[in-house]
Amino acid sequence: MLLDYDRLGWLRVALVGFTAAVAAFLLLPVVFIVLLSFGSSRWLAFPPPGWTLKWYQQLLADPTWIDAALTSAKIAAMAAISAVIIGLFASFSLVRGEFRGRQLLRGLLLTPMVLPVVVFAIAVYAFFLRIGLAGTTIGFVIAHTILALPFAIIPITAALEGFDKSIEDAAIVCGASPLQAKLRITLPSIRIGIFSAAIFAFLASWDEVVVAIFMASPTLQTLPVKIWGSLRADLSPVVAAASSLLVGLTLCLMIVTALLRRKLSR
Amino acid sequence: MQESSFRRGSIAGLPAGSGSALPAIILVGLFFIVPVVALLLRSVTDPEPGLQNYAALFGSDTYVRVFLNTFLVASVVTAVTILVAFPVAWMLAIMPPAMGSIVFGIIILSMWTNLLTRTYAWMVLLQRTGVINRALMGLGIIHEPLPLINNLAGVTIGMVYIMLPFMILPLVGTLRAIDPMTLRAAALCGASPFDAFRRVLLPLSLPGIAAGGLMVFVMSLGYFVTPALLGGTSNMMLAEMIAQTVQSLLNWGLGSAAAFVLLVVTMALYAIQLRLVGARRAGGGL
Amino acid sequence: MTPSFLSISAVRKTFGAFVAVHDVTIDVPKGEFLTFLGPSGSGKSTTLYAIAGFQDPSSGDVLLEGKSLLSVPSHKRNIGMVFQRYTLFPHLSVAENVAFPLRVRRRPDGEVRRKVADMLALVRLENFADRQPGALSGGQQQRVALARALAYDPPILLMDEPLSALDKKLRQDIQTEIRRIHRETGVTILYVTHDQEEALHLSDRIALFREGRIEQIGTGEDLYLRPASEFVAGFIGNSNFLPAEHLETAAGAATVRLADGSIVSGLKTAKPFGKGQKVRLMVRPEALSLTPGPASAALAVEIVDTAFFGDRRRVVARTAGGDEIDVRPTSDAVEPVGAAATGQRIYFDPASAFLFPV
Repeated sequence: MLLDYDRLGWLRVALVGFTAAVAAFLLLPVVFIVLLSFGSSRWLAFPPPGWTLKWYQQLLADPTWIDAALTSAKIAAMAAISAVIIGLFASFSLVRGEFRGRQLLRGLLLTPMVLPVVVFAIAVYAFFLRIGLAGTTIGFVIAHTILALPFAIIPITAALEGFDKSIEDAAIVCGASPLQAKLRITLPSIRIGIFSAAIFAFLASWDEVVVAIFMASPTLQTLPVKIWGSLRADLSPVVAAASSLLVGLTLCLMIVTALLRRKLSR
Repeated sequence: MQESSFRRGSIAGLPAGSGSALPAIILVGLFFIVPVVALLLRSVTDPEPGLQNYAALFGSDTYVRVFLNTFLVASVVTAVTILVAFPVAWMLAIMPPAMGSIVFGIIILSMWTNLLTRTYAWMVLLQRTGVINRALMGLGIIHEPLPLINNLAGVTIGMVYIMLPFMILPLVGTLRAIDPMTLRAAALCGASPFDAFRRVLLPLSLPGIAAGGLMVFVMSLGYFVTPALLGGTSNMMLAEMIAQTVQSLLNWGLGSAAAFVLLVVTMALYAIQLRLVGARRAGGGL
Repeated sequence: MTPSFLSISAVRKTFGAFVAVHDVTIDVPKGEFLTFLGPSGSGKSTTLYAIAGFQDPSSGDVLLEGKSLLSVPSHKRNIGMVFQRYTLFPHLSVAENVAFPLRVRRRPDGEVRRKVADMLALVRLENFADRQPGALSGGQQQRVALARALAYDPPILLMDEPLSALDKKLRQDIQTEIRRIHRETGVTILYVTHDQEEALHLSDRIALFREGRIEQIGTGEDLYLRPASEFVAGFIGNSNFLPAEHLETAAGAATVRLADGSIVSGLKTAKPFGKGQKVRLMVRPEALSLTPGPASAALAVEIVDTAFFGDRRRVVARTAGGDEIDVRPTSDAVEPVGAAATGQRIYFDPASAFLFPV
């Protein structure tokens, strides 16, 4: 009866109430920051004494914010594309390969997700200092691709495991080459997995702070590094404006994802 | 390469089917394994060969306190996260889908929102003159602002906030896999709701709780951003200490040694977690 | 009048506009084995769930020894139940599963051990006490479930299609076990199934459900030999239905004309029919034979197919009207002359046939 929603009685009232409270807790900072970004108080007083768009004006007038956002977008796009392509190849081997140590290989490729980022950050920073990639876009992309790779591999392998290989074999029996069969049959079938992989990989890089703090140079700053710097200096409302734009972006991403998934799964 | 690597064992000398993983192996090997191993070597070679860095690490009260504090924060965060996540996951597993999807939407929104954005919001909310203190004072519950930031309370609130989705989502799966009939059987056997919870529902969800809890614990151990922004100087965590040692003090040897300690603990717990859930399902939150 | 032991009184259950159970009323004496039989969706499980307390009836009442059960939560009803799926607690051993109801009743350890041993002996699983449920076969799991349901000596045991997940041979074995356990414990059993053979084998009485109503309630013999409707006749046992026209009824014996024009008289009928009314003649396959008896009616048929089933033969015959008739003579009966034989006749005693309105 504890798993029958209709038969929980008073317990249901308590548990649903608790769930609503937790949902409110999860929503609170997101809503709060958006409200605050329109408040006129320099000192982030809440409720704000008045409403204003001046923090957005300051934000958009400051080329360092724009630059940082463009840098982030560029690096995240490149890292996501590399992670999805490399992850797609690796997934075929992880799902279909018949070799000893396959699980070990999977564990290895997923390790960057588990290892504390700070360890990887100082390791790759030291390494890049030595080989001259520190503070370069390519260095950024390589480091972020490694961090994004597990987020690409997990949904793609899951989709591939759910795909019946005999359908691909049937295409080959019908006269398609193995490559044609993969391109025309298998990839379209696992497109939701690939799409999720792209979203997760993009977010993994776009949101990444720790490696970015180490890798950043005065001329190469991602958005999180710019926010981090502002937070350490003071709690300027401009950060609230920037944050609100990021929340808006997340919402757009969620809606696009939901729509695309619905469309793709038809 | 493109086509042949798809085919099983088509590259001479490689195990069957491993060829298409080569780009990933090269990337991770060259830019992940090599730098991490090099870092670990540095802990016993910088500034000179020997174990002096580890001696310094474990010989100093300051660093031992950082270790203890890291474990304390991770344990508190894990415990609170489990307690908060379980009832939510329970309801999400059984509530009507229309209601549930609203809660799921909120969870995803919170999870996908920029980490710094969320932490920034908590910094503003929790500060001395922040909304929470003002609200509590306005309601007459407290008369002095509570110290909610730059201490354990701040770190716990901020970290639980971030970890909740990673605990709730896998737990929903665990709870959905339990047959509701089993709980009906327990009720007819005479088990009160409390007995049914304690003797049936909880033991049956324990694998999910353990796996999720371990994941949260591991993630908390090595967390950098939130403790650095919401925690205080007196309760610094390991990740922040590593970053500072390397970045500000430029003491690479000591930083590497601390990184190695963090790595060993993390990987050991990760191995246990893999045992619990099986390698295929590691990474739950996705 | 003393109240009956268990009384289901005008129980009605609606889901939105859909009425799952229409005012079902049954009185169950103590110690009876009563089966709710019916196709899926006929309301039999819903009625059982109302007794278990998994669903509240929309109206009506369930009374145990005169006291309403409806306000009592499931865990205080003291009712035993065995479910369709195996609902053993997967984290507990067999013995701990059986002990569970006693533990939640805070019984002393010694009593729990004794009772668990008794129960495992009752279901003949003494040697499996320490196994985990996952290591048992389906049949063994259901026997553990039975032991668990009886461990606290509930006055009523509910069984919701407990054998439907098992294969045929195992089903028969466990049916025999259930009969023995019912005899030995004297527990009142309410048993839900859609399998008429199972119902006939096990029950003292059968309540046949159809679309949320009880179509007929009585012993297996009542339902088989004296079906109240065409539905009952069709659901219990095998039956052949032939369209016919009622000619007249005299002294409780009716005369009809079949589609091929032949006349059959001496038929039993419960309801009066008008002259010329369309009716259906029902006769059981095993009441038909290929050789004439003392008071036989005869049908002209062609033999379409014959098959041998060990204890019986199966002969498929077709009347001139195009209706197929299933005949099940015992195997020692004369073998019909091959397949596709025309000009054959099959015989039955009109007293074993029934008439139903269309």
